[in-house]
Amino acid sequence: MMRGFDVETLRDRAVEMRRKIAALLAVCIGLGFVLTSCGGDDGEDTKAAFVYVGPVGDAGWTYAHDEGRKYAESETGVETAYVEAVPEGTADFANYVRDFIDQGYNVIIGTSFGYMDDMLSLADEYPDVVFEHVSGYKMNETNFGNTFGRMYEPRYLSGMVAGSATSSGLIGYVAAFPIPEVIRGINAFTLGVQATNPSAQVEVIWTSTWFDPAVEGDSAQALLDKGADVIAMHQDSTAAGEKAEAAGARWVSYNSDMSAFAPNAFLTAPVWNWGPRYAEIINDAKAGNYSPSAYWGSMAEGIVDLAPIASDVDQSVVDMVMDAKAAIIAGDLHPFTGPINDQDGNQVLGAGEVMDDGSMLGMMFFVEGVIGSTG
Amino acid sequence: MRRPRLSLREQPLPGGQPLAFGTGLLIALIVGTVLLLAAGHEPLKIYSRMFEASLGDPDAWAVTINRAVPLGLAGLAVAVAGSMGLWNIGAEGQIMAGAIAAAWVARIGGDWPGIVLITMMLIAALGGGGILALGPALARAKLGVNEIITTLMLNEVAIRLVQWLIHGPWKDPDSYNFPLAPMLPDQARLPTLFSRAHFGLLIAAAVIVIASVAVRYTAWGYELRIAGSSEATARYSGISLSKKVLTVLVLSGAIAGLAGGVELTGTADRLTETISNGFGFAGIIVAALALMRPSGVAVVALLFGAVQIGGQSIQTLGVSSSVSTILQAFVLFGAIGAGVFSRYRVVLDTDARSTNRELSDD
Repeated sequence: MMRGFDVETLRDRAVEMRRKIAALLAVCIGLGFVLTSCGGDDGEDTKAAFVYVGPVGDAGWTYAHDEGRKYAESETGVETAYVEAVPEGTADFANYVRDFIDQGYNVIIGTSFGYMDDMLSLADEYPDVVFEHVSGYKMNETNFGNTFGRMYEPRYLSGMVAGSATSSGLIGYVAAFPIPEVIRGINAFTLGVQATNPSAQVEVIWTSTWFDPAVEGDSAQALLDKGADVIAMHQDSTAAGEKAEAAGARWVSYNSDMSAFAPNAFLTAPVWNWGPRYAEIINDAKAGNYSPSAYWGSMAEGIVDLAPIASDVDQSVVDMVMDAKAAIIAGDLHPFTGPINDQDGNQVLGAGEVMDDGSMLGMMFFVEGVIGSTG
Repeated sequence: MRRPRLSLREQPLPGGQPLAFGTGLLIALIVGTVLLLAAGHEPLKIYSRMFEASLGDPDAWAVTINRAVPLGLAGLAVAVAGSMGLWNIGAEGQIMAGAIAAAWVARIGGDWPGIVLITMMLIAALGGGGILALGPALARAKLGVNEIITTLMLNEVAIRLVQWLIHGPWKDPDSYNFPLAPMLPDQARLPTLFSRAHFGLLIAAAVIVIASVAVRYTAWGYELRIAGSSEATARYSGISLSKKVLTVLVLSGAIAGLAGGVELTGTADRLTETISNGFGFAGIIVAALALMRPSGVAVVALLFGAVQIGGQSIQTLGVSSSVSTILQAFVLFGAIGAGVFSRYRVVLDTDARSTNRELSDD
């Protein structure tokens, strides 16, 4: 990026530096006088601001949230704004939030796990602002709640489609980080695969990144090279699908219907549908009756869903998947129903038992049939 | 063939640096206006927000200063190495190494009094950064291995190390298996000076002053600069190059490490894999714009910080992150890059043996 240039020649004196500061101040103050024109805050109105971890153009995680924001804006009539590509664990997040609050925003929605502690302390600092955190577990009693979805339900369904599509019996899974959310998804997917193809296996590669098209693509390629003929993923870009398309393999995407990026490879996808939930939060805030909760919405509530299944998938498979979907929505089928064994064959759930939410939220083991390590 | 070339002005431009700076900024704002209009924004509103968010009031100054602190220390790290003609591209990783070391001290000294704990954390941070730079320093000093490659590659090692710690041995047992290091103890937070500006400002200022004096006014610094401009001259005058390379690179790493320690105690709640937040790479730009002089780093870092904070803030008005980044680059290079033209002029070269002094040989 930087070209080397010889700097020894460019010597200067401290005096000039001081002049530079003076000039900087002069210019800035001058600009300030000229430009300070934009008006005050509207005060009373509800305005909602979203903070995203990725770019809205990622076609994945952040794209899905932004679709939800647009839906909520048109549903509620409330003005919304967003900032994108805000890293976790840095001062940036709090800076943006304070900026928004300065401008009169009073609903702040943060869509990445790493914002959690910042949101908790900001909620304390700004008691009149509603904070809602996606994918975390902390909350307070007045103005800070969290939202997430039972993505394992459509993951299971997408696994059923993948299981019917593999002929090599090996499915690759490109995954971000070994945390409970991702592990839960891999397990639900694998149980779905086994529902249609009991002997198939799911091999996992960890990328240590949510969004890095190059790394995601390379990981998918490595799995394809090992003989996988279906690639699933817990990533935010479309790179894995493009590799699957090029290799003539199939692809289960994530976050949103990504069929346009790999039309031949695309099978289906577990997808997010944030709009109704965001509209609910904003309406509550507007009406002054927001109360924090730990919302873990299901397919029945509509926050998660399965994208349309590719037209070349056999109708009998589609019927089976749709029956399972109806059963999950009706509460008759739970993907984590025993008997379930872990990778080493130890039984973790007895026949007929259904896993409780606490165990699912802290899940740190792979089920039988997954190749890879959770560590 | 006539080639454009930079040539040192015999007479500095009337008005000098301030004029160049002002002109550069103006040009940048005009170009930026075109960009903003093309992207469908109102330039006045955007510029106004940029200014208000970064320098508009004491709160804004505090945010800018907290950003300038790690930028300044990282820039200083690169500039100290640069004074000797060495390129430390590893500040990003050294910041992380410093933060790891400081976080480690916070783990074992959770019940120490604040001043002791913070002091020890910062000393450890210096050590952490220095240790990460030691390998490249030894390789360069003893074997002549290019430090650009080695320092760059160690960035990857440092980030993986942080990830491993957070996902493994340092994972907070209360985090429901989420990869989070535990929160720092309360007394491990740097005190604030005003608004949210933390004590790191004074630490960074002190280190920058010390380093500037050392490089500029001591025999050690003189030798450093001699070695930087001509290795042969340095050898001829009996300067021990390998020892100097070793000290300077380790020192450079230590300063970057300190940035990590200050960032951890100043702004972060806990060790995260984003603790360096690109400061190490931005530090290269800071140092280059400061013309590799430690004394110039403070001003550039402050301006850089203001541009970053202001530039980020305009995203809240609907400016996309990419347009915001382009605008930040315009302002930075317009304002600071213009300084070059107050000292140099562009000439079209017809004669290779021009009598003018060239940019590249001093």
